Amino acid sequence: MFRNYLKIAFRSLARYKFISFINLFGLTIGLSCCLIILTYLVNETSYDKFNKKADRIYRITRSFNNDQGIVSLHLSAVAPPIAPLMQNDFREIEKITRLLPAGTTPVRYGDKLFNEQNVAFADSNLLGVFDIKLLKGSPRTVLSEPYTAAMTPEAAHRYFGDTDPMGKVIRLNNRINVTVTGIFSPLPPNSHFHSPILLSFSTLEDSTIVGKRELENDWGGNAFYTYLLLPEKYNARSLEARLPAFLDRHMAEPGTAANNMPSRFTKLYLQPLKDIHLRSHLDDEYEENGDINRVYIFSAIALFILIIACINYMNLSTARSSLRAKEIGIRKVSGALRTEIILQFLSESTLLSYVAMLLALGLTWLTLPMLNNLTGLNLSAVSLAKPLIITPLILTPLAVGILSGLYPAFILSSFQPSKVLKGLFKVSGGNLSLRKALVVVQFSVSIVLLISTVVIFRQLHYIQNASLGFNKDHILVMNYNEGLDKNFEGFRNALLEDPHVVSAALSSRIPSGRLLDYQDAATESGDSLRPISANIKYLKVDQDFLKTYGIPILAGRDFSRQYATDSTGFVLNAAATRALGLPHPQDLVGKSFRYGDTKGRVIGIMGDFNFESMHQAILPMILAVPGGQNSRKYSHLSIKIAGNDAAGAIAHIEAVWRRYVPEIPFEYNFLDEKFDRLYQSEQRQGSLFTTFSGIAIFIACLGLLGLSAFSISQRIKEIGVRKVLGASTKQIVQLLSADFLKLVAIAAAIACPIGWFLMHGWLQDFAYRTSISWWIFLAAGALAATVALITISVQAVRAAMSNPAKSLRSE
Amino acid sequence: MIELKRISKWVNVGGKPNFILKDINLEIKEGEFVSIMGPSGSGKSSLLNIIGMLDDSSEGEYFFLGNAVHSLKEKQRSNLYKQYIGFVFQAYHLIDELTVYENIETPLIYQNIKGSERQAMVADILDRFQIVGKKDLFPTQLSGGQQQLVGIARALIAKPKLLLADEPTGNLNSRQGEEIMDLFKQLNNEGVTIIQVTHSEKNAGYGSRIINLLDGRIENSN
Repeated sequence: MFRNYLKIAFRSLARYKFISFINLFGLTIGLSCCLIILTYLVNETSYDKFNKKADRIYRITRSFNNDQGIVSLHLSAVAPPIAPLMQNDFREIEKITRLLPAGTTPVRYGDKLFNEQNVAFADSNLLGVFDIKLLKGSPRTVLSEPYTAAMTPEAAHRYFGDTDPMGKVIRLNNRINVTVTGIFSPLPPNSHFHSPILLSFSTLEDSTIVGKRELENDWGGNAFYTYLLLPEKYNARSLEARLPAFLDRHMAEPGTAANNMPSRFTKLYLQPLKDIHLRSHLDDEYEENGDINRVYIFSAIALFILIIACINYMNLSTARSSLRAKEIGIRKVSGALRTEIILQFLSESTLLSYVAMLLALGLTWLTLPMLNNLTGLNLSAVSLAKPLIITPLILTPLAVGILSGLYPAFILSSFQPSKVLKGLFKVSGGNLSLRKALVVVQFSVSIVLLISTVVIFRQLHYIQNASLGFNKDHILVMNYNEGLDKNFEGFRNALLEDPHVVSAALSSRIPSGRLLDYQDAATESGDSLRPISANIKYLKVDQDFLKTYGIPILAGRDFSRQYATDSTGFVLNAAATRALGLPHPQDLVGKSFRYGDTKGRVIGIMGDFNFESMHQAILPMILAVPGGQNSRKYSHLSIKIAGNDAAGAIAHIEAVWRRYVPEIPFEYNFLDEKFDRLYQSEQRQGSLFTTFSGIAIFIACLGLLGLSAFSISQRIKEIGVRKVLGASTKQIVQLLSADFLKLVAIAAAIACPIGWFLMHGWLQDFAYRTSISWWIFLAAGALAATVALITISVQAVRAAMSNPAKSLRSE
Repeated sequence: MIELKRISKWVNVGGKPNFILKDINLEIKEGEFVSIMGPSGSGKSSLLNIIGMLDDSSEGEYFFLGNAVHSLKEKQRSNLYKQYIGFVFQAYHLIDELTVYENIETPLIYQNIKGSERQAMVADILDRFQIVGKKDLFPTQLSGGQQQLVGIARALIAKPKLLLADEPTGNLNSRQGEEIMDLFKQLNNEGVTIIQVTHSEKNAGYGSRIINLLDGRIENSN
């Protein structure tokens, strides 16, 4: 019996080629979208699971809050003393390991000199917690001695070529020599951290790097990513509950009042390793993480596109039901039960969706490389070849076949043979309106996607073109190197010898990065200083910073080398004066101010500017040019150049750099490019939305094409009669198109509020955002209507142009 | 074999019943060849459809080989029908997507008969109707008479006791019509009970009994 079904299915597919093509094509594209998004899903949810002990690994995170309990900062890295103290206090912890990212580090071996990115210091038991495979070296001793390192084969090849890397000495930052004692296989792409070179943690005890004392006592240096390996079946929450007491035990000065204990202002949390990639959005993630919401959004889109394709099948199958009515009648007369007819149509739709699935697998395989380019992801169709995924992959077409075939099957199997065989059969009105409702669903989804696309691009345009409060053009940024400490004045003067170099400035952080440092502050109140609760972010700069970035002074003055007292002077931004409750910037100028341990005066107020991405609001900020022991230790160098000869200026800067720090590679970025990169994920989201909404509209229009072709063929006699009665071609086209345009209009009416709601939510993620103007809805609706109109009118015009004599004779 | 008691059939038009069949009492014995005649709209086809279990009556009782058809469930009725009844139509009603062979085979599929057995049965009937050479053709490749022959072969494939024919020669020319009627006569002689709806006195003459319908009632039966 099944063979008979298949035979009939194949033959009727072949007979109605146009409709079959629409169905197959729509389902194929719908399933391809699903497959592609499935590979994305598989990739996103696989993060860190390559670690066999992933279930038992937790990261310690630390939050800071004010006395009202409002969290101002939540870091995924903590202070260095926490790890050894916890290991000591909580014996049940199996292992505890730390990673300290050292960022981009110049590494030299002989004449090979590279800026290595993502170098990190790692505790020797890192390999015992994470599944990092040691290719060379002893697992027991690797990373244990000071001044030793382990690296990936790729990094080793960079420096040593094909010679044995073990025991070779590399020079970091032109300052410390480190011996290679291990080679490890690189971390897989789905790890939340990566590093080509790991340095032994004990190296940090060198006081020119961090120092033993700081490692044991510095509770403020929250830069150490700390991971726990807990015993099996251990309740992490119960450990977490004991952490406030732990903090108080170790952090509190003797005699601290009970209501002023450290745990009131800072908290530690245990975060499951497997949650890091998708569910952690802390202020200092190791690498850029994914987002569970994005996973949900794209899953929903894939599902909707598949539903649109299924609706095509339902609509076209029921629309065409009169063509199959005779066959069904005969089958019933031949003794078929209704369930057998239903089964037959279900096997037809299932067959179609399996064919579509095969085609979709091919299409996915072909398009994934393209998509990887577009998104920067590294997806592979091979990742689907897992038992856990293959089962649903095999069952999906069955589900799709049943979903799209069930309704037509019920409709078709309900035909009464005595009627259809007599030719009395007519498509009933009820299922016509359902078909219309389904078209409305398709276009609603498409229009929502269109609206989303427009809003995403509008917001991107807005944040990329909004005034940042400073001039980001023609600014080169690079890592400052301590080799310049000895003679920075000379270096700067040498840079300025070229008239195309406008200015050069030092700072602890640069715009487009995050602004995370802060200390407590106090402001003048009468004769004394009163602590303030506002959280003012700290930026260490030199006298040329404001000038280089073109940040305006609103009151008072900029830092100047002419005033020795500027080492205790502060410049705050307007947001800080507002946070202090002062309406006018000049009110604060000249006032005493304490920030951290430095007591001094406010010398100026600068304009607000967007230091961080547009996701963050402009925060209260304080700038200082500390003197004495803290005078150096800058991290970044920014150089403003004239726009007319960038290449020449850069060549000059490089030459000067090579003269002063020849042992450090010269590398730079343009600041505006760094800002653009902040919105890379939105860019990708935008292009994906464009693709998906295009696909959705396309499939919906395919369905419309089939449906309108059919409905016009049904009305061919009516058209003939109308033409004989004197209707013009235009009137007929209007008549035929109006029906479908009405549906698109209803769809737009449904889609607009949904689109508004969704995109309003999306925009909340930005502190600075564009408005959702009415024209977006109009444009999206108009676009959908236009595409639909073009689709229908091709058919309508042909029908309207046909000779009525012909269509009437055929009756 | 067939016993109809006070069978009526109506449809509601504007709230009022519009009778298609009224108070039909009829008995047909096994081996009869009955022709139902009457003008258009007299209810001939409706009566045939009720007898063929394609349609329900609105009222009355229908016994088929002792089974109370009016109170059977769909499945039981379908079983009864599959086993004993074959249908032939004026417009042949072959499935266009299936070949002659497959069209004839279809009823057997719904009776869950094994593949090898089906093959033998279809081969048998193809042979008997001398259409072996046409078995791989599609219906559109056949003449009307040939299509009707296939239709009859399909109706007979499951060896029914009762053959129902709704104007089987209506779409055929006279020569083809005669051939079909001769075939019916021969089948009847072999013991198949036949009920046909026809307009033609000549075709009715092949039967053993004629029932005249007028406005949903039996006018006379002889």
